[in-house]
Amino acid sequence: MESIQINPLTVECTLFFQENPYTFETLSGLGTRLGRKPEDLRPVLDELVTNTILEIMGTGDNAIYRYNQPKSVDMNGLMI
Amino acid sequence: MTSYTATGIDGLDYILNGGFPAGSSILLDGAPGTGKTILGMQFLYEGAMKGEPGIYITFEEFPEQIYNEMHAFGWDIKALEMENILRVICLSPEILIDQMKQPNGLFEQLIKEINCKRIVIDSLNLLYFGIEDLVEKRKTIYTLRNILRKNTLTSILIHEQTSINKHNIPIVSYIVDGVIRLLLQDHQTMYRKRTLEVLKMRGTKIREGEHIYRINNSGVDLIPSLTMIEDKAITEYQSENISTGIPALDNLLQGGIPKGSTFILDTNSKANYKYFLGSILARRALAGENAVILLSSLASILDLEHIYSLFDVDLRDLVSKKKIYFIEHYDRPIPEGYRSAVIKVHNLDDEEYKRVIDENLWNYIKDSTEQGEKWFIYYDLNTIVSRRGKDFVKSYFTEEAAKTAARGITLLALSNFTELGQETSSFLERTCNGVLQTNVDGNYQYFQVKKSPQGVMSQPLLVENIQSKPFIRLV
Repeated sequence: MESIQINPLTVECTLFFQENPYTFETLSGLGTRLGRKPEDLRPVLDELVTNTILEIMGTGDNAIYRYNQPKSVDMNGLMI
Repeated sequence: MTSYTATGIDGLDYILNGGFPAGSSILLDGAPGTGKTILGMQFLYEGAMKGEPGIYITFEEFPEQIYNEMHAFGWDIKALEMENILRVICLSPEILIDQMKQPNGLFEQLIKEINCKRIVIDSLNLLYFGIEDLVEKRKTIYTLRNILRKNTLTSILIHEQTSINKHNIPIVSYIVDGVIRLLLQDHQTMYRKRTLEVLKMRGTKIREGEHIYRINNSGVDLIPSLTMIEDKAITEYQSENISTGIPALDNLLQGGIPKGSTFILDTNSKANYKYFLGSILARRALAGENAVILLSSLASILDLEHIYSLFDVDLRDLVSKKKIYFIEHYDRPIPEGYRSAVIKVHNLDDEEYKRVIDENLWNYIKDSTEQGEKWFIYYDLNTIVSRRGKDFVKSYFTEEAAKTAARGITLLALSNFTELGQETSSFLERTCNGVLQTNVDGNYQYFQVKKSPQGVMSQPLLVENIQSKPFIRLV
C-alpha cells in the first residue's frame, strides 16, 4: 500500500487560511504571520495554488496569496 | 443635509447628536485595553444588522482571534461573513495602501463584493510604521482618507495611543473628520474609569467633555455625562412646563420649569441673576399664575415693578387683580397701591411668622387652588437666613416644599450655597427637583443646570448680556 506523505507546513498553511479566510498576504507577510522562512513557504504555497486551495494575485515579491473558499453546496437540492 | 451613521452605542449616538456623519473618517485613539477593537466591531455589527455591510481590516491580529473575542458579546462574526454583510480582513499595511491605489484592485473588489458602507482599520500606527518623514506620513493618511471618502465609507481608524500625555494630539487628527479619545483613568483612588471624549467631529454638534463607558456583555455601553435619572413623577404627572423665557434654558428643561416642581437658583455674590429671575417671574404671570414673592433687602417692590415692566408685565395690574402677594421682612415704606398685597413680617418671631403666613396666605392659596387657580412662589432664602437663621430655613423650606408639591404649586428659591455652607446647601439640594446655578468666575458669568426633574444637567454655559428680552443669552 502506498503511504501518503503530508508536509506539516502544508497543513499549517491550509489551516491558517481556513481559520482566517479573508487573509491577503505576500510571501514575506505570510512568513511573518506564521513565523516561517519565506524560502520554506514558497513551494508549499505554490502547491496549494496548484491544488486551487489558494489563489495568487500578481507576480514576483508583491504577489498576494488568498484563500479560495470552497463553495457551499445545498445538499437538499441534491436529494432525490 | 448631513445624514448620520448610528454607531451601535446609544450613548455615543446621543453625544454625537445622531451618530457619525455618513462618509466621515474618525480617528479612534486609545491606549491598550481601552476597548478600541470592541467599539470598532460594535460599529460594524450595528451596520450589518441595519443593512450597511462593513469590513474590519486588521494588520496585526489574526481574524480567528477577533472571531473568538467577539463571541463574548454575542456577535457571531463568521455567520455574518457567510451572509456577506461583514468581513474581517487580514493583510499587511503596505498591501492595503498599494491595493487601494490600484483601479479595480483588491480594495475596490472587496468593497464591491459586499457593497461595503462601513470600515474599520486597525491600526493607523502600523499603516505609517517606519515612515519617519512627517510629510510622507501625512501624505499616506491623506491618501487613505481620500480613498475612503471617494468610496463613501464611514470609517473608524484605530490609533494606538503612544504618548502617556493625554494632551498630545496625534498628527493625523488634523486630516481626519473626527477624533475620539478613549482613556483609562484613576477614579476615587481605588478604581479606574474608562472615559470617552469626542475631541473633534466635523458636520455635527457634539456634547463636550469626558463620558464614562463600561464594557459589558453587550459591548461598549456609554453613559453620557451630565445626565441624571428623570423624575417621572414630575415630568409625566405634572407635565405642564412653563417657559422660562430663556430659549437655551427652555431647551435644556424640555420646555421650561414644570408645574408643581421645586427649583433653587444658586448664585454667588458677583453674579447678576436679575434677568433670570425677571424672565421666569414674568412668564409665570403671563401664563396666568398667581404669585407670592418674598422680598429681599436688595429687591424692593419698586425694583420688582421695574423688572416686571422690562418683560412687559404690569405689576400694579397684577396687584389690583389680586394675583400677586409679597412677604416683607424689612421695615420699609410700602409704595402706594401695593398695601393690600403686602404681608409685613419684620417684627414677627419664627412661630408668629409661620402662623401669620399660614393664616393669611396658605388658607387663601388653599381655597384658590381648589378653584383651579395656579400659583408660583418665589422665596429669597438668603433673606430668610439673614433674618431667621439656617436652622429655620432647613425646616421651613422642607415644609414649604412639601406643601407646594402637594398642591401643584411651583416653588423657586434663590440661594447662595457658598454662604449657606455645604451641609445646609446639600440639604436644600436634596429637597428640590431642580438646581440652577449662576456664578461669576474671572471675567465671565456662567450658568448651569445642575439638577432637573427631566434628568438633564448642562455644562457651564456662558452668560452674555443682550439688548432685547430676556436680556441674557446662554452660550
